[in-house]
Amino acid sequence: MAHEKINGCVVIKDLYYSVNDHTWIRLNDDGTVTVGMTDVAQTLAGPILHAKAKNVGAVREKGKPIAIVESGKWVGPIKSPVTGEIIEVNERVAADAQLLNRSPYRDGWVLKMKPSNLGADIADMVTGDAAVEAYRAKISADNLKACTHIEGTDEYE
Amino acid sequence: MEDHEGKKILVIQTHGVETPTRTYSPLFYAVAAAAMEMEVMVWFTMNGTNQLKKGAAEQVQLDPTSDVTLKTMLQMAMDNDVKLRVCQQSLTLWNMTPADLIDGVSILGATSIIDLALEADHVMYF
Repeated sequence: MAHEKINGCVVIKDLYYSVNDHTWIRLNDDGTVTVGMTDVAQTLAGPILHAKAKNVGAVREKGKPIAIVESGKWVGPIKSPVTGEIIEVNERVAADAQLLNRSPYRDGWVLKMKPSNLGADIADMVTGDAAVEAYRAKISADNLKACTHIEGTDEYE
Repeated sequence: MEDHEGKKILVIQTHGVETPTRTYSPLFYAVAAAAMEMEVMVWFTMNGTNQLKKGAAEQVQLDPTSDVTLKTMLQMAMDNDVKLRVCQQSLTLWNMTPADLIDGVSILGATSIIDLALEADHVMYF
């Protein structure tokens, strides 16, 4: 995966990001999207203890919670980056929530959705070099610390 | 995750800065409920009131290696649209006036808390 590191935080270039919500989507060939949380998000949360996603079949509007994530110091929603129906939940994350920490862009995806208004939703997101620059600005503006990674995290050279 | 969107949760907090281990969890539960799209209110009364005094919550830190204080927890609650309310009568227990309260907290009387308890889908008492 083409990527860049900013302050130790990995940004994968072929994903689309909602930077303020620290989420990403991958566009799948069948018209669905895979949704996950970013390296910055897993750093802010710290080692995650529990993750519960909404049920398959739930229709969510962009910005509404699609999952709740808990760590020892933080609890909060993962906000949907698109409007659509949840069609698959990553059961591996439900069973091992720290997969979100170790593999935020690969095995630790949260769920898949069938978007209903992707064209409009994606217009608010950033990808490629624009995503890298948006994250660089976000990290600077929010004075975020360097990303931290627990043992077993995916490596990006 | 079951869909509990719109349910009303009332959290009553009676513990304050003198018992730090009893202060974080009610706020954590409140934020969790808010993240699950419930309407959440925390009602501070008795000793719970003293954590709302300006400058008090910053001094409560359960884990000295963490930068999270009780003020962080209160702010996290407010950031997640948890409503923070304090008992008017309990302010006098701590020689507090409305001007002593942190921003974002509203004052209600005893009658209001009874109404809110009856309107809530569930009350959690700490």
